[in-house]
Amino acid sequence: MAPRPAQPPPVQRLLRRWLRPQWPRLWAVSRRIDRFNSAIGRAASWLVLVMLAVGSWNVVGRHLGVLIGHNLSSNALIESQLYLFDLIFLLGAAWTLQRNGHVRVDVLQARWTPRQRALADLLGTVFFLIPFCLLMIGVSWGTVASSWHILEQSPDPGGLPRYPIKTMIPLSFALLALQGISEAIKRLDRLLAPGPSDAMATPDGR
Amino acid sequence: AGGQRSRPAVESDSDLPQIRWRMATSWPVSLDTIFGGAAMVCERVRLLSGGRFDIRPYAAGELVPGLEVLDAVQSGSVQCGHTAAYYYVGKNPAFAFATSVPFGLDAQQQNAWLYEGGGNAAVDRLFADFGARAFPAGNTGTQMGGWFKRQIDSPADLQGLKMRIPGLGGKVMAALGVNVQVLPGGEIFLALERGAIDAAEWTGPYDDEKLGLNRAADFYYHPGWWEPGPTVHALVNEEQWAALPKIYQDMFSSACHQANLRMLCRYEALNGTTLTRLLAGGTQLMTYSDEILQAARDASFQLYADSARGDADFRRLFEQWRGFRAELMAWNRTVYPLTRFLHQSEVS
Amino acid sequence: MDPTLWLGPGMFLGALAFLLLGYPVAFALGGVAVVFALLAIGSGVFDPLFLTALPQRVFGIMNNFTLLAIPAFVFMGSMLERSGIAERLLETMSQLLGRIRGGLALAVVVVGALLAATTGVVAATVVTMGLISLPTMLRHGYDKSLAAGVITASGTLGQIIPPSIVLVVLADQLGISVGDLFIGSVIPGLLMAASFALYVLVVAWLRPKLAPPLPPAPAGQVREAMARRLVLLVLPPLGLILLVLGSIFFGIATPTEAGALGAVGAIVLAAMNGRLSRRTLREVSESTLTTTAMVMFILLGSTAFSLVFRGLEGDRLIAGLLTGLPGGATGFLLLSMTTIFLLGFFIDFFEIAFIVVPLFAPVARDLFGPEALVWYGVIVGANLQSSFLTPPFGFALFYLRGVASAEVATGQIYRGVIPFILLQLTVLALIVIFPQLVTGLPALTR
Ligand code: NA
Ligand code: NA
Repeated sequence: MAPRPAQPPPVQRLLRRWLRPQWPRLWAVSRRIDRFNSAIGRAASWLVLVMLAVGSWNVVGRHLGVLIGHNLSSNALIESQLYLFDLIFLLGAAWTLQRNGHVRVDVLQARWTPRQRALADLLGTVFFLIPFCLLMIGVSWGTVASSWHILEQSPDPGGLPRYPIKTMIPLSFALLALQGISEAIKRLDRLLAPGPSDAMATPDGR
Repeated sequence: AGGQRSRPAVESDSDLPQIRWRMATSWPVSLDTIFGGAAMVCERVRLLSGGRFDIRPYAAGELVPGLEVLDAVQSGSVQCGHTAAYYYVGKNPAFAFATSVPFGLDAQQQNAWLYEGGGNAAVDRLFADFGARAFPAGNTGTQMGGWFKRQIDSPADLQGLKMRIPGLGGKVMAALGVNVQVLPGGEIFLALERGAIDAAEWTGPYDDEKLGLNRAADFYYHPGWWEPGPTVHALVNEEQWAALPKIYQDMFSSACHQANLRMLCRYEALNGTTLTRLLAGGTQLMTYSDEILQAARDASFQLYADSARGDADFRRLFEQWRGFRAELMAWNRTVYPLTRFLHQSEVS
Repeated sequence: MDPTLWLGPGMFLGALAFLLLGYPVAFALGGVAVVFALLAIGSGVFDPLFLTALPQRVFGIMNNFTLLAIPAFVFMGSMLERSGIAERLLETMSQLLGRIRGGLALAVVVVGALLAATTGVVAATVVTMGLISLPTMLRHGYDKSLAAGVITASGTLGQIIPPSIVLVVLADQLGISVGDLFIGSVIPGLLMAASFALYVLVVAWLRPKLAPPLPPAPAGQVREAMARRLVLLVLPPLGLILLVLGSIFFGIATPTEAGALGAVGAIVLAAMNGRLSRRTLREVSESTLTTTAMVMFILLGSTAFSLVFRGLEGDRLIAGLLTGLPGGATGFLLLSMTTIFLLGFFIDFFEIAFIVVPLFAPVARDLFGPEALVWYGVIVGANLQSSFLTPPFGFALFYLRGVASAEVATGQIYRGVIPFILLQLTVLALIVIFPQLVTGLPALTR
């Protein structure tokens, strides 16, 4: 472990000086993203109840349908249960990130200072999360476009259109990338906030 | 190391490039007859090219899910695939003809249509929209008509029946009043066994026995009128195809021809053996009544007429197919007395 | 040097190192996939177009009906927890068992097994029981390690006692019926619960200081109150269990659909207990969304990881490594179980199920036949259950750490689970030696 510097390392000082004028704007961006994604996440969480209702109806309707000799369930209903499930996790992922709900292996982090954790999170966001989101958006674009082009349907009788649900793939990762930007701003804030500088002592030997 | 080993003729033949492809398939490895068709294409190509043209087949889900093979070939993530065109009727309803349609062609007729009756050209035109070329590369032969928990004698018995049956066959069954269910392959057995559904179809005796369907239901109906002779296709990404040396193209299409014949032969041989075993094990072989068959046929051709009205590709293919089918049926009828005599006078 | 020789193993090492950074598992895996995809493209191992298989894989996951069980079971567990049904179930049970030595710990095992049969969500059971029973056990002088061990171990029972998400995923990976795997794991799951109970009794008998008995309650009216509580608090959750298991068993619903019924059943139970409000519904829905997104995005990150891993021919490398070793059936069992157990020290069960199990499945099918895949699935499931408990990355340990007071040290939690890991391995060995423990029940129901 490197000896603790008496004052913040030059990089941090430079960054702080350069970023301070921008800070209110960055902070506003982060707040706006958070509000946006939490609104979407809260709305999507009500879909959980809709999904369970549809799922139960599919069971009950099938048995009731046999009794009254009339088909009460359909492939459209069966597929809508699935699509609701897709909407729930695809639209909820960004809000889950905001609420720190994505599980992590925190044995090492437990021993780190808040600043070290902020640095690890910042690096993770910049080098893992955002590139992953960009990759997913990039590779799914063509598939989504060609699905729209032919207005792709379900291959099963009476099923639902597929192009809207396929569109949710790039959309979900775009929301996640946005949330990543907000998280990066929050971690940067914690990193650059004035205070005891021991946190910047080369975390985990890098 | 050893550069002195003897080499196959093709390899010493200088300038042919070393090419490695991936083949995504729609089949689990456990279905060895149908996955075997894909493996055979790869193996033949490797053999013919002295190992220089190397294709590796992947089971469903290894690279992409089984029902996404066309998408993978279209986007270029794999160079080729092995799949059934009717999985993609959601993209273009006319894909149904490329595989099999209810009351359509049996394996021999299907091959006649594809290779000599303009079928391949028509199918190629459909796949061209998806940047792919298609080669018949397997056929399962006439499939069975599904496993039923109880006997069905008339169309009235189909009302409200819960059956797992996908594709156009499912549409026809739905038109006859069946409650058509979508179930993943892994859930078919349990659903049928516990009675969550009353009937389920898979393929034929050999594959059905693997799924254990004979332990879940007693009545095994035939014929499988919704799939009289389904073709499976090898798909190749158009750009990758164009970049192949001519001799590799020839090797690939020859290998597909071979797989098309051999898969059918394997299914026919294995289904015969398996059916005998199933019957010995208590399975009851049942025939769809003429009444049900007529109702299903009428519903099928009504469905084709409706689809043709709504879709230009479907109309074009249906009309070409129907014309060929009429002539072929007329010809096959002249041979039918022998077939009938053979089946009726069978001595065991 | 052939880049596939080091890029494939490099991915594993990279993933392990980056997971240790503590960044969310889903995105660490996805990020590692991006990094190694760039390396692979740079060294010409595969074409960038290869990655366009990713949306197809994602869509395959979105289209997988069996995964619908995840939000349904999460909802059911969360509703039972927030409505206080689970808590009162435990209180009643421990009062019933309180006068036996180690009775409180025994109650934790029993309730853990009951919750296991309803939810199958380890996080829900461990957190719930940690909140309810840990303070009580410590108050009555229980050893901290024993208390922590019994709570985390009982919480993981949800994994092997059906219904269970792990078994759903395993069945999918092995290409076998979810129902068969559920039925096959009933006896092994009960055996595990029984071994925990037996251990608790033996410890309480040999070393009473570790698990002292509760002071005897005054007799008389208490018995009547107990009977009422039994009817009001214990029977309804039991009814829900019967609803879920029974609807699968009697063909009223497929396992996927049974999840939805169970969730609705939990809402009804909460309403009957007067604990259902708009706020509860919202909170439970929100936590269902969060947990589902967490689990599903691990799948998405892991699908990116394993696609790149396959592109690098890493699967061939491991397959060659694993199948090239001598030893036949016994050797393969030892090797696959050791591999899964050791990986379980480091990575999550989902990643194991998705990366390693597909490699073992074909070998197992060849060696033992397709009928034995249910048995193999159960032993993999039992093995994966231990991975929830093994330090340092046992998720059940984190869940308990999250709710335990500071007076319980992480080291005490780690020490506490060791006997239970050994018990699980013993049961695992029994299943391996006596496959009838798995195959017996399905054969009876057939
Ligand atoms: Na469970
Ligand atoms: Na672990």
